[in-house]
Amino acid sequence: MLKNNNLLLASFVASVAMLGTGAATAQDDKEVVTVVKVTGENWFTRMEEGVTLYGEEHDGIGTRQVGPARADAAQQAAIIEDLISQEVDALAIVPMDPSTLEGVLRRAMGRGIAVITHEADSLQNTQLNLEAFDNAEFGAHFAEDIAECMGHEGQWTSFVGSLGSLTHVQWADGGEEYMAQFPEMELVSPKNESFNDANRAYELAKEILRAYPDIKGFQGGSAIDVIGIGRAVEEAGLEDETCVYGLGLPQDTSAYLESGAVDGIAFWDPKDAGYVMNILADKFLNGEEIKTGDDLGVSGYEDVTVTDGPGEGKIVRGQAWVDVDASNWSDYPF
Amino acid sequence: MITIESSHNNLDGVAQKVLRNFWVWSAHHPAIFPLFLIVVTCLSVGAINADFWQLSNLFDILRASVVRGLFALGVLVVLASGGLDVSFTAIAAFVMYTLTLFVVNVVPDLGIVPIFGIAGIMGAGLGALNGLLVSYLRAPALIVTIGTQYMLRGFLLTFIGTALFMNIPSAMDAFGRLNIITATAARGSEIGLPVYFLILILAATVTWWMLKHTLIGRAIFAVGGKPDVAERLGYRVKSVRVFVFAYAGLLAGVAGVIHVTANRLANPFDLAGTELAVIAAVVLGGARITGGMGSVVGTMLGVVLITLVSNVLILVGIPSAWQTAILGAFILFAGLFFSQLDRLAMR
Repeated sequence: MLKNNNLLLASFVASVAMLGTGAATAQDDKEVVTVVKVTGENWFTRMEEGVTLYGEEHDGIGTRQVGPARADAAQQAAIIEDLISQEVDALAIVPMDPSTLEGVLRRAMGRGIAVITHEADSLQNTQLNLEAFDNAEFGAHFAEDIAECMGHEGQWTSFVGSLGSLTHVQWADGGEEYMAQFPEMELVSPKNESFNDANRAYELAKEILRAYPDIKGFQGGSAIDVIGIGRAVEEAGLEDETCVYGLGLPQDTSAYLESGAVDGIAFWDPKDAGYVMNILADKFLNGEEIKTGDDLGVSGYEDVTVTDGPGEGKIVRGQAWVDVDASNWSDYPF
Repeated sequence: MITIESSHNNLDGVAQKVLRNFWVWSAHHPAIFPLFLIVVTCLSVGAINADFWQLSNLFDILRASVVRGLFALGVLVVLASGGLDVSFTAIAAFVMYTLTLFVVNVVPDLGIVPIFGIAGIMGAGLGALNGLLVSYLRAPALIVTIGTQYMLRGFLLTFIGTALFMNIPSAMDAFGRLNIITATAARGSEIGLPVYFLILILAATVTWWMLKHTLIGRAIFAVGGKPDVAERLGYRVKSVRVFVFAYAGLLAGVAGVIHVTANRLANPFDLAGTELAVIAAVVLGGARITGGMGSVVGTMLGVVLITLVSNVLILVGIPSAWQTAILGAFILFAGLFFSQLDRLAMR
């Protein structure tokens, strides 16, 4: 398997080198293009900062970010087709719908273009897929915060967007697994489904407070669960007695972080993800292999884990969650 | 020997008569069914967990019933006319998000009454579009409203926005916090019955009066029961269809604004996927999916039942996957009950 990959890599590097001689007359740079789901959204505007930064900081590589004006898998595929015919050196892609891009990405790789992806660990036709973190570890991280805040004893509960949202369920399970080491922690009414509706999360949180008046810990799943839970906690006047942690975005959650109804949120910074995708593309173009334990020089990606993906490619995982609380939410403009 | 047997027969006859009378009576009062289930649910949940018997819990359930209740009244009217509507959540989401953004960016000082007025007009307009498509294209209502639901949602997310909007207009925020009365909950916190609950009461009263005491109400049931006969009797079937969809749209628009004021944020992804629970509430309340039947009281009880089941099962410690299953069982039970009712009452 490994031998095979090396062979592939070698032949690939050779083909890039040959292509490179042609392109070198026009410009000395390697060209890496990041293709996002949609332009104009806060999340991807933030990612663009990382993409641009990498190009500015490194000589001999040009980076830019493009994306469809609206989140549409077909438009994203069309943009990638265009980039293939422009013969860019590498593509860094955040797929809208991974399965719809399999064909076009296979074609890109066939043309000798390096393909790096993000948030697509089910994708077959990619050379390196970047995940900010392992989902179980991310869940355990919330549980760690909650357990610490509660003094390792008492009742806690978890929320998911829906039982069908795989990542949310993995976070809840990861949290539950972590808590198993503390016999005094009691999980009640686990995996409440908020259906990504803050109002539903609010109603559920109120009902849970009624059913378990001594409950202290809440682990949010979808990014708006903490908003709904925070509102219920605030109305009950329990800001100081409860510990609410979960996925969230700084601006959206800021009011509840300030009041203390939500104690902390975590997310992964799209700026870093954009930057690291370009590191991976650069390294790949230089023929460098990424191994478990490598330090990519970006916070959260100092000790990456590399595993085999579903196809020929590999999955690179960091531990790149960013913790945000009342003290630092204003550092993030999204 | 003979006497005993005859008396036995008599008893059987009496029992049968009582049973038959019960079925006939229930056929005329289908609201008894959701009421029965509500009582059973309350008694069993309350027996397991005494925390159920709190005024604050009642307030929470009534508060959570408002948006679903408004939707359900719209669905009731559409169902009664023999149609079906699944686009009301998309109408509500579209109205609430577009209107919130509009008010914040253009007229930040607009009062709550004109906001509701605009929401009603926008909703009624979008609903009327459904009605026009259904009556003039002669297309099945389910297909038309599935289509408009997808189109509205797609348009909203593509051209209006996808971001969560936290800073809602002050008039909406203030209205959402206004309470009629408040109760003190177990941990000392205040739980209020919000003023927007009165909007549901008002909408229910108007809908009841319209269906029961106006010409349009009679026309709706006539069209829903036998459209060809209604047409021969001189009812304007097309106008009735446009009206019912516009009415459902109006209620959906108002419900959307209430959702934002209660939630203190506008999220364009909200409300999607709640259509079937609303339709289930209306059917639990005795309306027939085939049209021509249904009552406001039954519908409201159906809504309370659905809200009750989806909120209080946590009190009994039932896992979330089971909550949906129990809801499903109730709906199935209702379907069987009503079909049995029809068969026995016909005899």
